[in-house]
Amino acid sequence: MPIRTQQSTAAQLNTRVDNTVRTWISHIHVDRGIGRMLVLLVIAFALFAIMNPRVFMNPLNLQNIMVSAPEIGILAIAMTLAMLTGGIDLSLVSIANLTAITISTLYTGVVANDPALAESLGGLIVLVGIAVGVLGGLINAFLISTVGITPILATLATMQIFNGIAIVWTGGKTLYGAPQALSGVGKATVAGIPVLFLLFIVVAIVIGLLVNRTPFGRKTQLQGANPAAARFSGIRSASVLYGTYLTTGLLGGLAGVLFVTRNPTASADYGTSYVLLVIVIAVLGGTNPMGGFATVTGVVLATLVLQVVQSGFNAIRLSSYEYSIAQGVILIGVMVFDQLRFRRRTRYVASTQTRNIASMSNVGDDADESADKVGSP
Amino acid sequence: MTLGNRMKTLASRLSGANNEGVLAIIIVVLVIVMSLMSPSFFTVHTLFSIMRSALVPGVLAIAVLLVIISGGIDVSFAAIAIFAAYTTVHFAHQGQFDPGIIGVLIIACVIGAMLGLVNGAVIARFRLPTLIVTLATQGIFRGILLVYVGSRYIAQLPDSMASLSTANLIAIESSRSYLPLLIVPVAVLVLLVAWMLRRTMFGRGIYAIGGDTEAARRAGFPVVRFQIVLYMLVGAIAAIGGLIHVILNRNANPQDIVGTELDVIAAVVLGGASIFGGRGSVLGTVLGVVLVQLINNSLLLMGVPTAWQRAAVGLLLVVGVGIQALSARRASRRTFVLDTVEA
Repeated sequence: MPIRTQQSTAAQLNTRVDNTVRTWISHIHVDRGIGRMLVLLVIAFALFAIMNPRVFMNPLNLQNIMVSAPEIGILAIAMTLAMLTGGIDLSLVSIANLTAITISTLYTGVVANDPALAESLGGLIVLVGIAVGVLGGLINAFLISTVGITPILATLATMQIFNGIAIVWTGGKTLYGAPQALSGVGKATVAGIPVLFLLFIVVAIVIGLLVNRTPFGRKTQLQGANPAAARFSGIRSASVLYGTYLTTGLLGGLAGVLFVTRNPTASADYGTSYVLLVIVIAVLGGTNPMGGFATVTGVVLATLVLQVVQSGFNAIRLSSYEYSIAQGVILIGVMVFDQLRFRRRTRYVASTQTRNIASMSNVGDDADESADKVGSP
Repeated sequence: MTLGNRMKTLASRLSGANNEGVLAIIIVVLVIVMSLMSPSFFTVHTLFSIMRSALVPGVLAIAVLLVIISGGIDVSFAAIAIFAAYTTVHFAHQGQFDPGIIGVLIIACVIGAMLGLVNGAVIARFRLPTLIVTLATQGIFRGILLVYVGSRYIAQLPDSMASLSTANLIAIESSRSYLPLLIVPVAVLVLLVAWMLRRTMFGRGIYAIGGDTEAARRAGFPVVRFQIVLYMLVGAIAAIGGLIHVILNRNANPQDIVGTELDVIAAVVLGGASIFGGRGSVLGTVLGVVLVQLINNSLLLMGVPTAWQRAAVGLLLVVGVGIQALSARRASRRTFVLDTVEA
């Protein structure tokens, strides 16, 4: 019976396609940070491209976006890692500045004696700088994991300490000088794409793999989602926290290298506004600040969105203060949108047991709303 | 009760619910050490200058304390403070009129409370993380201030404010020590907040919300309403802090205060308030602010460059919070074994 088999293969093909499409759609649903940011990126890009195409679509402007995104993006990825375990790292920018200052000081110190030697030692100097970043991460890890201080306080304190050391070290002045090779890397492009941007993508892929494909990543997610459950399933939170904060220190150091690569100067107060910006990016990218959920892709896209908005604001001649208003409005808008959607979804729950819980939480919601009515005059 | 136990209860009573006693002892020891090291330290002049420098951070710290007790954290208070103060001065300057000091206070507090309402509404209504929300509103408030209100430095305050900036409660001309009159309203504010936290249903409600929001809700506290009122109150107190800053500096600069958020939060945390909420006291916060100002002053007198101030406060924070964390860890370990035996 050839006809029937044909029909059944057609049916099979049909279900297979159906399944594939459904999996795709479910992927989009799961990675809401990614989908949302992709939409925002396209909208922002299109908006500014229409409003001022001559300035915004200029290849130089697009390259500028790609050169300035990496340093913020890498810091945001580090912040994402800390948030994944339910923590936060306020000291990232101070760590990056310490790294930049170390590199600049070492370089100028060696150049004074022997310029040729300084260039050949360039790689070593950069490595020492990154080591300073890792050391900063180690101090954070010690305070958070061994002493048991809450991450927000521990890194608030180390931020002050690292920043204080940087002020004392530089005397509050800006240092000039960095290995020539670094500036070369900063200006280099491959097929029109800046090397710095490619580096950023590589870092993002590595950290993305680390989070999603390794036992360490699985453990950090569990640790962030539910520390008690993680402990009872045999995860040693100490080693997870050390791993996390050493990595954030490493990434902070890497960002510091990018600081001097983009601009051969270093100072204690460079990028102070980044601390908040980086948290904004991490949350926009779909990172749950309570821990347990994060996507590196979402964070990369969020970095690009904010860079596009910033350069777009420049292109249509709005000030940096208007950009900070936009930043806040986007952040609150996205969070409120999320929360509303989450609530609506909890109302349509199928199974009876969850329906009971859902109705209970609805009771809570109603009480909330009645309280609101009382509260608003 | 054995002598050891009695000593233990005495020690725990002395150290206070939030380590206020420990802070007081640190302050006293620091004062003694500094007096021995530098004869110019133990003078009325030093006392007055520390009190003067603690005024603005003190008021802001009281505002932050309320948020931290309720289990949140606020980084927008500095933006609110300068927004309210600068806008008030700006309008008085533009309109060429002087609302009088009471009028200035009312205008600033209303502006502060309105901005606080934005925070409170978003946080309470949508149950979003307070750090992230206040980060966002900080950018919005600061942006609106600089873009739509004004970005220029105003050197001339309304007369009522200008006269207050030179008014002193105590002036000792011989040693050139002046205690500003503004210390009176600050003291009243501090006492009022302390009374509110201890004696009113609203104050206890803030502790309850910070301890466990769900439990507070079930105990019958109107959590959403309390949170909204709380953030409005915090906005108003921050506005007072901003006004005092403007008056003491004798000018209104829209770039001021923003950037000192984390220093103020550090002082509050040093004062024993728990970042998880439910714990903290006005006395501890005042002691925390005084300790930070004392250290800054001592470093100056010892000839340590001001550059070290930041690192010193950070180090102090690590030590203070670290001791708390370690003792909490030891206490939690002890409850499992020893307490049952002792009981």
